[in-house]
Parts: sequence; structure tokens; C-alpha cells
Amino acid sequence: MNALAYTEDQLDALGELVNIAVGQAGASLARVLDTYVRLSVPQARVVSAAAVSRAVTELTPEGTHDTVVRQAFFSAMRGEAIVLFGRQGGRGIGDLLGYQAFHDAASEEVLLDVSNILVGAVLSGLGEQIGARFGFQAPTVLGRETELSELLEPAAVPWSQALLIEVDFEVESRGFSCHLVLLMPEDAIERMRAVLNRMLAAL
Amino acid sequence: MNAPDSNDPQLLAGLIGQLNVGLFVLDPEFRLRLWNRFMELNSGRSAAEVLGRVIFDLFPEVDEPWLRKKVETVFQIGGYAFTSANQRPYLLRFDHHRPVTGGIDYMRQDCTFLPLQGPDGRIAHVGVSIVDVTDKIISEVQREEALARLGDISIRDGLTGIFNRRQLERSLEAEVSRVRRYGGELSVVMFDIDHFKQINDSYGHRAGDEVIQAVVGYTCGVLRQPDIAGRYGGEEFTLILPETGAQGAMVVSERLRETLERADIHVGGQSLGVTVSVGLSSFRADVADHEALLDEADRALYRAKSDGRNRVVMYRPANP
Repeated sequence: MNALAYTEDQLDALGELVNIAVGQAGASLARVLDTYVRLSVPQARVVSAAAVSRAVTELTPEGTHDTVVRQAFFSAMRGEAIVLFGRQGGRGIGDLLGYQAFHDAASEEVLLDVSNILVGAVLSGLGEQIGARFGFQAPTVLGRETELSELLEPAAVPWSQALLIEVDFEVESRGFSCHLVLLMPEDAIERMRAVLNRMLAAL
Repeated sequence: MNAPDSNDPQLLAGLIGQLNVGLFVLDPEFRLRLWNRFMELNSGRSAAEVLGRVIFDLFPEVDEPWLRKKVETVFQIGGYAFTSANQRPYLLRFDHHRPVTGGIDYMRQDCTFLPLQGPDGRIAHVGVSIVDVTDKIISEVQREEALARLGDISIRDGLTGIFNRRQLERSLEAEVSRVRRYGGELSVVMFDIDHFKQINDSYGHRAGDEVIQAVVGYTCGVLRQPDIAGRYGGEEFTLILPETGAQGAMVVSERLRETLERADIHVGGQSLGVTVSVGLSSFRADVADHEALLDEADRALYRAKSDGRNRVVMYRPANP
């Protein structure tokens, strides 16, 4: 058992906190997109650098996703969001974001927009729970899956443990889905522990 | 004594005004509420002119449904939003500041949409920043062009622009394995310029280069769409003719020989009678590999030379 791991109580509290945050995100996404959206029950845990590449890539079986977008966020906790899109990309959802025609140049922009909105909504929900307001960098397209696993190579990442939060996002009426992964390394784990302890103390 | 205060309204106003980044603010009705000096200078419209007016009325180039949605999501979610010049070249159409060396039409812009809270904590306005990234985009374009050129350099002959020997052999290898697997026909032609050494000796190497370029020019005129031409070395050239049997290759080769015989190739005002000798071979199942096929065409070429030049010789397995 390593020192950074959460206790069972802390994990329960974390699950609850993240669940509320994602619930709020779902409500604001539905409002923005003006359609029914589904966010899965989020999963949160601490992963080691050695396991993170597998943890992320096994979320979506090999070859089923096409484009990966990443976006940095910062506040009391900082980290990066990774959004994995399926082969259908942003097809079917562009008009919900004000895009009138779907063409190649727009398709990347649609994916960046969807990522930004999804990440913004979830982190705004999370920020409300932990009393922080996040700042964001512009999202960028990372490329194909191989590149992602290279970037998450244990030898390539400058941290050893990270808090990982994952959630599926789906707009069923448009046949659209993507997968969101938030990774917050090292000190975010401790900062979150302090938040969780306060939550538990208040029970 | 007043301590310097970063929230001093006068300081803030001065900073926003002078910042070399475009800043403007929209209210929920898309009316402009702030317009800094960068925006004034680049749009040619003063703050007095634009404040209080709806942005879509002032800048018809803006994609209204898209911008509406973008700004509304910032109001609703309270997060940031972004546009990158890599996907969307610009938000507002401004001239850029590289009129001489640019080679790009309008200023490339990275934009950030910022939620601005009102006194009640709700998002009351959306701020937009515009960063001029024209230089960055120009250097990206230049880098991509350089990479494309490098890729080209590695496969093409510098003098003539047709494939170099390495790329030619690579293509032939691929063609041979294709016909071996899927069937079909394939022929290879090798030809060289007759008495090229004399041209070089009498007129100089520069003239020799010009003759080579002219010969390649005429050759490309004879080829059909899928045919591949390459410079094998010196004055020796190779053609790969996919889906072409011995008879078809003979027709192409003869047309090539005739075309060059009739061609008016001149150097330094002087007309030269340039002829070529041509050897060819067609793929058969018993040909070991692409090198063997090339070798057969080369042997036929040697035969064309020794038989008196300016002729086409086909390799015959029974009678090499």
C-alpha cells in the first residue's frame, strides 16, 4: 500500500464528490446543447505512472477511437484532460454547436469545441465542490492512439502517481459519444485528500 | 502615500488600452462593452464608434450562428472557450503586419473567450482576447513546405525532377511484387542518349545537362498516366510501364525513339541531332525479382547499342 493511496472512506467521499460534479456538468451540457445528454457514473482513483497508459488505453479498446484532444487546466489542482473520440468524430453534433456545414476543417474544430465544453462543464462542477475556479489552456488535437500511449509512457511522464477521473459522455439522439479522462498528478492527490477529510469531518 | 495597487482602475485601463492583444467585451445581447486600442488600430473603428453596437452589425464577416453558440456556452457553463488559427484562421478580418514577407491574406488569430462575473457571481459578460499569431502560422507553413521539399529531394533527381535511381528501384520492386501476386502485365524500358560523351566534350557539361533535361521533357510527353520515369544515372533512364505487355512496351519504346529522333533539341542556338538506344523487357513468372528484370532490359539496351544505336531491342529469354 503506498502513502498516496486513499483510505476506503476517502475513496467513498471522492466518488460522491465527483458524482455530484458530473451531475452538475450533465445539467449544464444539456442546457448548452439543448438536447438530452448522458454522462456515465464517473470513476475516480489513484493510478501509478506505470499503470496509467494501460488504464487510459483500455478504456476504449484498441482501434476504436480516432482522435485524441488534450487540454490543460490549473487552479489549486492542476492537470490535463484527455478526450478520446470514436471513429465517428464530431459527425452529427456540429450543428448543436452552431456549425452549419460539416467539412474536414470544421471537424477538428468541432472536436476541440466539444472537448472544451465537456472539460469546462466537468471542472466547473468539480471546482464548485472543492471551492476552486479553474483556468484553462486552449485544447489541442493530440493525434492518434499510438501517440497517446507514447506520451503516457511511464518513462516519459514526470510524475509517479496521479488522480484519475474518467467519465463517458453520450448524445444518444446523435449517435455521438466520447470518453473524458482527467489526470491530476502528485500534489493534486494530497490537496484532494485535504478536501475529502474536510468532507468526512463534516459528516 | 498610496501603495501601488494592481486593481487601480487607471492602471488597469492603461494596461488594457495599450496591451498588444486585442480585447473586447460582449454583453448577453452581443453588444460591445469594451474595445481596446489594438482593436481600434486593427479594425479601423474607434471605441466611440462601436461601443453599444451589436458585433454582427459591425463585422458582417463573422459567422453569426457559430459565434452566438460559442459565446452562449461561455455564459451558460462559465468556462473558457477557444479558437485556434490552425482550424479557424481568424475571428475578425484584419490586415496583418507582414505586408511584404507574409504570403498570407489576413491576420491569423488565436482567440480566448473569458467568462466575466458580475456582482452577483453570475456570468454577466464575455471577454474576448485576440492574439496575432500570423508569424507563427507563416513559420509553420514554411516548415511544412521545407519538409515537403526534403521528402521530394530524397526521391527525385535534382536535374530533371523525375524519380532518382533509389525511388525508381523501390517503385519497380513494388510493381513486380504486385504483378506476381495479382497477375497482369509489366514492362521495363532502359534507354540512353547516343554519343552523349561527345555532346559533353564538344559543348560542355552545362550543355549536356540541358540535353538531358530536354530528353526527359520529350520522354514525359510520350508516357501515359500510370507510367513511371526515372533517371538511372548519367544519361541513362528507366521507364516502368505497369499493365503493359511486350507488344505495348514496344509501341511506347518505338514512339519514344521516333519522337527524340525528330525532336529539335538545341544548345546555345545550335541544333543537335539527339537519338536514343532503347532496351526493354516484360515480366514473366520466371523472372527472379525486379533486379533481374532491370538487368534484362539493360542487356537488351546493350544489344541496341552494339547493333548500331537509335533502335529498340526487346529482351528475348530464348535468345538473349
